[in-house]
This record gives sequence, C-alpha cells and structure tokens, in this order.
Amino acid sequence: MKRWSLVLAVAIVFFGVVLAACGGSNNGGGTASSGSGSSATGSGSQSSSSSGSASNGSAEEKVVLTMGSWRTEDVEAYEKIIAAFNQHHPNIEVQFKPTKNTEYNTVLNTELSTGGGPDIIHLRPYAAGQVLADAGYLVPLTDLPGIEKFSETTLRAATGSDGVVYGVPTVFSSTQIFYNKKIFADLNLQVPATWDELIATAETLKQNGIIPFSFGSKEGWLLSLTHGMLGPAVYGGSDFVQNVVTGQTNFQSEAFVASIQSQLDLVPYFPDNYVGLGMDDMRNLFVTEQAGMFVMGDWEIAVMKGMNPDLDMDAFPVPWPDGTQTVTTWVDGSFAVNANSPNKEAALTFLEFMTTEEFGTLVVNELKKPSTIPGVVADDPLVAKLSQFADTISTPYMFVVYFNSGNPTSKSVLENSLQAMFLGEMTPAQVAEEVQKSVDTWFKP
Amino acid sequence: MGKDGESMNKQTSAKKWRFGWIHLFPLPAFAIYTLFIVYPILAAFTYSFYDWQGFKRGSWVGLDNFVDLFTREPFNRLFWNALGNNVYYFVLEMIVQNGLAFILAYIIYTNIKGAGFLKAAYFIPRLLSVIVVGFLFKLILNPNNGALNTLLKKVGLASWAKPWLGDPDTALTAIILVNSWFGMGFALLLFLAGLQSISREVIEAARIDGAVGFRLIRTVIVPMMMQSIIIVSVYTFIHAFEAFELIYAMEGSQGEPVNSTDTLAIFFYRTAFGGSSGADSTAVGLGSALAIVMFFIIATVSALFLYLTRNREVQQ
Repeated sequence: MKRWSLVLAVAIVFFGVVLAACGGSNNGGGTASSGSGSSATGSGSQSSSSSGSASNGSAEEKVVLTMGSWRTEDVEAYEKIIAAFNQHHPNIEVQFKPTKNTEYNTVLNTELSTGGGPDIIHLRPYAAGQVLADAGYLVPLTDLPGIEKFSETTLRAATGSDGVVYGVPTVFSSTQIFYNKKIFADLNLQVPATWDELIATAETLKQNGIIPFSFGSKEGWLLSLTHGMLGPAVYGGSDFVQNVVTGQTNFQSEAFVASIQSQLDLVPYFPDNYVGLGMDDMRNLFVTEQAGMFVMGDWEIAVMKGMNPDLDMDAFPVPWPDGTQTVTTWVDGSFAVNANSPNKEAALTFLEFMTTEEFGTLVVNELKKPSTIPGVVADDPLVAKLSQFADTISTPYMFVVYFNSGNPTSKSVLENSLQAMFLGEMTPAQVAEEVQKSVDTWFKP
Repeated sequence: MGKDGESMNKQTSAKKWRFGWIHLFPLPAFAIYTLFIVYPILAAFTYSFYDWQGFKRGSWVGLDNFVDLFTREPFNRLFWNALGNNVYYFVLEMIVQNGLAFILAYIIYTNIKGAGFLKAAYFIPRLLSVIVVGFLFKLILNPNNGALNTLLKKVGLASWAKPWLGDPDTALTAIILVNSWFGMGFALLLFLAGLQSISREVIEAARIDGAVGFRLIRTVIVPMMMQSIIIVSVYTFIHAFEAFELIYAMEGSQGEPVNSTDTLAIFFYRTAFGGSSGADSTAVGLGSALAIVMFFIIATVSALFLYLTRNREVQQ
C-alpha cells in the first residue's frame, strides 16, 4: 500500500515537471498565472472564434472579427459604430467583446502569449501599450491610409520603441474643473479666470457650507491625476514638460516642488476626512450637490449624468496665476491589429474606418469623448466645449505620456509619495526627491 | 489441499484485481489537482529563474530575481513591510478571531440550549462571498456617512469617528477585524467539535477533584482539545500569510494607504500582474520569485509547527 502511494506521488511530481518544462519551452507558451483556470478557458474560446472565421477578407465572403477592450461601459456605443462601419463593409462582422477594466491587461497578455487574442486590440496608451508592440504582438500601421491625419504627439500614444506606429488613437481624455452651475448662481460666483480667483471662489463656497473641491486621497491614481490637472498652472505647463523631457530641468526644480506644495495648500478646501474618500465618494459628493467643484476627467460626464440627470453642471479650464488657461489631456486608447490574426486585411479595413471623420463624429456623440480626429464637432454642448478645449489649450498629463515607465512606475511612485504627503508623512520636497530617484533609474532625456 | 490452494490463489488474485481498480478511482481528481495546483507551483518555480519582458519569457538568469527581491529598492523594503503586515495579521487574527471563537464555543458547550441556532448564526457570515463582505464593510466604514461613524457621532463619540480605511494606522486593523467577524464561525465549529469530543467522564472526574472554571479550562479542556487548537492555528497561519481577497476588496492592489495594507499576496499580485489600474508594469520573474519565497515560508513554518506539536495531542 505504501509503495503504491509513493509511486503515485512520484508520478504526479514527474508529470508536473514535464508539463512545466513543455509549457515553458515554447516562446512564452503556458499561462503565467498560478492556477487561474478561468483565464485559460477564456483564451481558448477567444482564439477559436477568431480562427474559426472565414477567409482573409475576400470581398464576397463573410469575415468575423473580434474586438477586445476594457470599456464595458461602451458596448452600446460600439454597436452603433460597428453598424455605421457595416454600411460601407457589410461582409465584415465585428464583435465587440470587452473585459472588466481591472482584468483586461492580464487577460489580454495571457491570450497574446499563447498565440490567441482578439483580432482588433484596444491598446492602453503610451508605455503600457508599447510593451505589446515591442513583444511583436501587433501589426505595424505605417502604410495605413488615414494615419497621417494624426499629429506626431498624438501618435506617440501608439508608437513602439522602434518608432513604428502600431495603433490608431481614437479618443482623448481631457480633464478640467466641473462646477455646479446652480450653486455658483446662488452664490453669485463667476467662473474664475486666474488661480487667485479660483482660491477666492473656493473660500466663498466654504463659508457657505459647500465643499469647495470634491477630493479624496484614498485611491492613489486620483492623486497623480489631480496633480496632473492642477499642477500645470504652477509648474508652467507644456514648456516645463518640454524642458524635463529634454533634460534641461528635472523634478527637483522649484517649479515642480511648488506644484506639489500647491496641492497641500488646497487641503482646507477638501472635504472632511478626505484621506478616507475614494472615487465613488468623490463622485457622490458632487452629484448630490454637496460639493461645488470637481476636478475630473470627461469620462465621468456620462456616469454623473446617469446618476443625477438634473445636475446642472458645466466645466471651465484650469486657470493659471497669470490668466493662462489649460486642460490636461492625453490619448486614452488606440486600436491595433493582432499580428497573429487570420483576418488582418479585414481588421485593417476597420482600422482605416477609424481614421475617418464619420468615425470621429460617432466618437464624440456616442462615446461622448473628444476625438483625436481634428475638426469634429459634437452634438452635446458640454462635450463640444471640452473637445474645443482639448484641441486648443491642452497640456500633456506628463506622468502618463512620458513618465509611466520603470518598475515600479514613476507614476506609482508619485502616487505613493503624494499619499504619504497628505497623511503628513512626507514633505513636498521629499515627494519630488522620490519621484526624481525613480525617474533616474530609467529615464534618458 | 489442492482445492483449498486453488481457491486461495483465486482470492488473492481477486483481491489484487480490486486493489488495482481502487487506485484508479482517485486518478481524475489527481489529474485536476496536478493540472491546476501542482503544475502552476512548479511552473512558478521554473519562471522565477528567467528574465521576463512583460509576458514574454527571456533568458535564464538563475537566482537574479531572488537577489533583486531582497536587495533592490523598493522591493526589499516592500517585502519586509509586507511580511511584517502578515505577521501582524496572524497575531491579531489569532487573538480576536480564535480567542472569541473559543470563548463562544465554550459558552455554547456549557449551555446546550439553543446550540443549534447559535452555531448556525455564528457561521452565516462565513457563507457570504468575501468580496461582498469587503464591499459592505467599505460602505459601513465610510468616514462621512458610513454606518459606524454615524453611530459614533449619534452617541456622542464623534472624536472616534476616524477615516478607518484611509488612515495607515487603522486600515489594516480594520480589515483584520472584518476578517475575524467573517471567519469566526469556522473556528467556532472546529473548537466546538473538539470540545464535544472530550469524554464526559474526564470532565466529571476533574470536577470532583476540585478543578473548576479557569483551572478546568487550563488543565483539562485545552490539553484534551489540543488537536482542534492546532488545526485552527495552522489554518489561521496559512490564511494570514495568504491574505488577499478582503484586502483587495476593501483597499485595492496597491496596499494603500502608503503600503500599510500591503501583504505578501497583494505585493505578489501587483508585481506579477500589474496593479488594478492595469497600466502598471509587470515583472513576472520577480513575482514568481516572491511566490516561491512565500511558499517556502508558509510550508516551513507550518511543517515546523506541526512537528513541534506532534506530541502535544493528548490521546483519549
């Protein structure tokens, strides 16, 4: 009896080692996750649907493409976009299959590393998407008709480290200050034109029992975002970013440290117990009209309007001390073609559609986000206003556009340090020092 | 003799035949076990010796990932921070969850009335999904309009109404207390089973000898239910060192605020797969090395503990 169990145990270990070795010998084959069988079955069904589709985009035969994304909120919008595409290309069927935002990267990476994955991939912007390009999972788009419409800065979001463009950027995320028009009207407040006026507005709101800025420091990503939105007014916007990127200045400069200090200076205008408030709480405070201003991105408009359709809100750009105005923007996603897709031609046709004005119009009206295609006007006045800001007075969110690399990323180092600062454990100078240390480990001007 | 000999051989060969068949039945379970548990463990072991570019495996680097884990900033600091948090998790869970479970189990044991109802009532939290529990308590612990702080303010203890999950001093403790509420039912059932396995005669004899109350518990009851105590302790230890779900549900994968809720498992998840925002960088090699280190810590301490306590079980 004892011998049998020993033999069985040895057999298990033997087969386990054989499986591990076999799985590892293919280039990146085998799942890298410990025991998440669900993602394995997920990749199985994805690759079988794309490999089971018909020929390589010949004009008469029907082709079925799968499109992966993290935007589960946009299913209806993409259905309309695909319907518009089908007006031009009725034989190419596109299935939009998003995955939950927090799991998208893991699922996508696992599928790609096993040779599967959707035909059309929604690419995370800048450094995050670059990893996929560098690993060879994407088809180069240098010759895609229409790709020349986008500016070089915009294309940076979908370029590999070899300088080749791999994705069609589709939307900007634009961040500005949303405000409650009714509260402002009741208190006779005007839209502030300078930083000092902004502080005065906050003061008035506070005196009247309204929370000036709906803000919380519990979730790290909101800290670098808020700094990205309000910081340019203090550190000098795009000029400063240019200087850092070319190495003429760094994050320990007075301008940058001052921008961090300015965050701390706003604490009197934050809600009570803001260290324990996260995104949901911040949104709730503004939507239930307890807060007057909400420094946030355009992606929240649809959510907020859904929660409180009667909310009378508008937005204004961030005002500098000298009266200049900026909104912080970055490309928030592009679409690429899977190098392993059996339907590359059809997929490229869809990508070409994404460079047209028709697509851009659908983006602003259905996805309610500024389009990367110049000259597109939205129906919704608020979205149109934000698109116009994005086209004219934008400054880059530098920690996503330029400094989201390193391990851990410099962006996450900034987030951790800012969180420590709000908890009183670090000074702004120390925050700048930490960020600089992180950037020094990988950045070359 | 011949006839008996023949039937004897038939019997033994029939036995051998059944014997062989019996060993075939667990094979499906073993296959699943091998594929989903043994293979990933061994795969992680293999992966930790390679360099990884995102999700693509690079070249063999031997023990470099392990060296990196223990020497490179910030991984070195984060590792010891996470380990410390796990130890704190274990200690507090032992005291609160298991201490409370033992007391309640003893009370139920000595007052049999309504025992069935009480057992069920204390066990019901355990049936909820951990994510649901995490989400509910996140709402309860909301600093401005959560149930806990509203209650404190109503009874005049407004100064105690803190941002529980936002303050690095209280965040981990809050999560551990929620976990204790959640897991207490299970420990209680195990303790109760251990208590009920003690023969009545021993208790009576001890009582006659004059051992009552605490003395009875200390000298008779605890030694006699040592097996349950050991099982619960090892289980709590393993669970505390793998603490992930509740923390992920209540604070996310960054171990916020300022790494105070960072445990080894959260640190591993963040390192190997990127954070919950999905845009952070991944380091599968480092993550695998960390997973292997975790495995060794848990396996070694558990084995050591079981070895040291092997003679402490008092046989009935």
